[in-house]
Amino acid sequence: MSRFTFLRPLRRLDWSLVLAMFALLVGGILFIYSSSYRTAELPVSPLYLRQLRFALVGLAAFLALALLDYRRLRDYAWVIYLLGLLGLVLVLVPGVGKKMYGAVRWITFAGMQVQPSELAKLATILVLARFMSNPDRNPERFSYIALAFLIVLPAVVLILKEPDLSTASVLLAVTLIMLFAAGVPMRRFGALALLAVIIVGTLLGLLFLLPDWVPHLGYVKERLLVFFDPGRDPLKTGWNAIQSALAVGSGGLTGKGFLQGTQDALGYLPRTVAANDFIFPVIAEEVGFAGSAVLLSLFAVVLLAGIRAAAAAEDKMGRLLAVGLTGLLFCHVFVNIAMTIGLLPIMGIPLPLVSYGGTFVVGAMGALGLVQSVYVRRRLL
Amino acid sequence: MTERTTTWRMILVLIAVLGVWTGLCGRLVYLHLFPSQKLVEDSQGGHILKRELPVARGRIFDTHGHLLALDLPMKNVIADPTLTTNDQQKYDVALKLAQTLNLDPALILPRLETPRSRYKVIQKFVSVEITTNLAAQKLPGVFFEDASARRYPHGTFACQVLGFANLEGVGSAGVEQRFHDLLKGRPGLRIGEQDGKHREIYDRRGTEIEPQDGADVHLTLDMHVQHLVERALDEAMRVHQAKRAWCLVERVRTGEILAMAARPNFDPNDYRNADTNAIKNLAISHVYEPGSTFKLATVAAALDAGTVTADQIFDCESGKWLFRGRLLHDYHPAGRLTVADIIKKSSNIGAAKIALTLGEERLDQYLRAFGFGRRLGLDLPGEEGGILYPHRQWTALSISRIPMGHEVAVTALQLLNALCCVANDGHLMRPYVVARIEDAKGLVLRRGAPVELGQPIREDTARLMRKLLIRATEPGGTSTKACVAGYTVGGKTGTAVKFVNGQYDSRYNVASFCGFLPAEKPEIGLMVVVDEPQPLHTGGLVAAPIFSQIASNAVRCLQIPASATLLAGAAETTGGPL
Repeated sequence: MSRFTFLRPLRRLDWSLVLAMFALLVGGILFIYSSSYRTAELPVSPLYLRQLRFALVGLAAFLALALLDYRRLRDYAWVIYLLGLLGLVLVLVPGVGKKMYGAVRWITFAGMQVQPSELAKLATILVLARFMSNPDRNPERFSYIALAFLIVLPAVVLILKEPDLSTASVLLAVTLIMLFAAGVPMRRFGALALLAVIIVGTLLGLLFLLPDWVPHLGYVKERLLVFFDPGRDPLKTGWNAIQSALAVGSGGLTGKGFLQGTQDALGYLPRTVAANDFIFPVIAEEVGFAGSAVLLSLFAVVLLAGIRAAAAAEDKMGRLLAVGLTGLLFCHVFVNIAMTIGLLPIMGIPLPLVSYGGTFVVGAMGALGLVQSVYVRRRLL
Repeated sequence: MTERTTTWRMILVLIAVLGVWTGLCGRLVYLHLFPSQKLVEDSQGGHILKRELPVARGRIFDTHGHLLALDLPMKNVIADPTLTTNDQQKYDVALKLAQTLNLDPALILPRLETPRSRYKVIQKFVSVEITTNLAAQKLPGVFFEDASARRYPHGTFACQVLGFANLEGVGSAGVEQRFHDLLKGRPGLRIGEQDGKHREIYDRRGTEIEPQDGADVHLTLDMHVQHLVERALDEAMRVHQAKRAWCLVERVRTGEILAMAARPNFDPNDYRNADTNAIKNLAISHVYEPGSTFKLATVAAALDAGTVTADQIFDCESGKWLFRGRLLHDYHPAGRLTVADIIKKSSNIGAAKIALTLGEERLDQYLRAFGFGRRLGLDLPGEEGGILYPHRQWTALSISRIPMGHEVAVTALQLLNALCCVANDGHLMRPYVVARIEDAKGLVLRRGAPVELGQPIREDTARLMRKLLIRATEPGGTSTKACVAGYTVGGKTGTAVKFVNGQYDSRYNVASFCGFLPAEKPEIGLMVVVDEPQPLHTGGLVAAPIFSQIASNAVRCLQIPASATLLAGAAETTGGPL
């Protein structure tokens, strides 16, 4: 027995989270099957089998990170962050980065396609948690905020270059959430909000008044326009939004039944995105409101577990780490679902644990593992 | 930061998360449980596939089954400019298209340089042989569409009768217009479902209504006779430098129209470049003052009413007669003439005096009974009824002018039909051009049958009138040039001075001739009208020879027995000469 004492922390895992995580993974694999089993032309091995393999790798990452004492990561935070940035730089190196669907977001690493931005997000949260929990830093001071943003800046800029505006925005949002949890005074948030409005306003102005100022961001403008007027280009840029809302709407109370979704089967939901960014409409169509309510509840369990971990964290770094990672998951879940039901413009944000995507599943489960690493070392009340 | 603040902030985060979740759930409830009607309709509308299945328009045949109009399967050549990527490629495609389609590459290239469009028509109605050739070249962005093109294999032949169907397949003149509803057929309908790429899902095909091809129209026109008429009119236009000319041939006993043509004419295959005047079917829609040909109706009326007899003598006043303060002239001045000679010499004064014996009211009645002043009900669009005022509106001079074919306006069809009435023992038939209309399965949807409109004159009057009309073609008559070797011809010339710029101007004439043959047992009636012939301008010199030319050949096409045979036959049956 004594040889396995290092496993002991697992007894204090948040089992509700583990169960919800498994339920989401299984559901994800089932509906990835549903969304792709008809397509013979797609890859070597079926998507759902690949996803199953990714989930197993993710499970290993989850357990390893849960066992690893997060406090030991403090010393390596900067190294990890630099590695993350290196990955992002590699993506931009011609010949290394792989271009898919109009953006360079992948690199091939040890025979697998890896999305460095997923790892970079975790690394950024880690380094932010370290910085913000430094007792020498005073959250009341302006430099605290300024330095925090300065730390995030390289990652944001590199991700923007891919281009991947949504991931960059998520990263900024997570930074804000962490600043909030770190105890930055409320009045600073007022100033930040004002600053954000000015910056976003300026960017939007540039986007619409001076088209092509950044050559690759034209799609952003198009998606924004389509969001406010889906009928503007119903067959091209507006297509996904319309068909996705239709898929959700046609599900009704209990849906059309597993594998019976027609929006997906008939190719109204484009097959290239049905398994990942648009997995939610596939689910909503086939299992209806009942299914999507269950899905939302499972995510609520996962997020509440994160908040619980943050609340119970032994130290400030643990709390900030849990808040940042949970905030990241929250942003993903919210943005993904909101965009498929027409509450937000279409963005390339997948649904954690459910959407198809290797790096993404491993990253999300790794994040949950880190959160649990905080939780198993919680203050006992 | 105090412990208290931390707790507060965590609670705020929790509230924020729960708030957002409530929002998502709300939207989901709205989408799932109360889907907007519009969304549902959009969804179904996007899935449902409704496609019209093309149908072939009915064909048009002459009486022998010769094809006059048909639908040909063709292709439209279309280009999707977004599929040609660079200038060199566009140039190559334009060049190859131009070579194959025989077009100017400079006209095609700009159409390939419209990046926002994915559908540019290169050329419509290209034959399948050419498109097969094009398809083999595999030009990027070039594709083909099925199209059905209306074709008239004989070009201008009988164009005013056939009319034309426009590029949308709508019959817009002639038979094509009148019987469009039967010719067009009923396109089939396919209702099914389609997938996201607009491909039909075959196992979800629902309603399928077979297309019903258009019905075929069989005309009474005889291609051979029509050909004679067409050729004669072309020649007449050339020889007489006429402004217009028209002609029609009618079968006396039934009212079937065997030929009908007019100049100027047009090619229905290229109707868009046709002159409006060329599309007009002059024989039925051009209303003109007929002149002397009209006298046959006047004299027939007076003979039928018994106010004159054939040998009654009238003083033709040596060509000048002052009637109610106005002078009336004769072209060939004469002294005393019998009624028979008034027809033969075509005396205006004689015709007026004959009409006076009849009186305005009875003349009016007889003319209307002959079909003047109203439409006869021909089965073609554009038939006119002419102008014949009610006798109460006549002026004091009308009774002297109408008998000779002035102050009255008719169509050639009306006049020929009145002549055929005389030739047909007084029975006025309704003219028609459609023998029958058959649907694709051979079911007859409409059959043209002889219809008698009335009997304006008695049989004996008609027989007497025919004799008078035969005399007009005999030596000394106005119609000597209308004779046909081997056949006795009856007929009447007309030379009407035209009313130009507010007055009758003798430099402008309408020369016409209407006649029938064989006079002993009339088979066909034929009318020729030449508008503004130069320099010859009388019906006898201009129109009668055309009649002779057409009739001489038509009798052979129609296998009409010669007069001698008829007489011999009559001699055999009655045992002696007439």
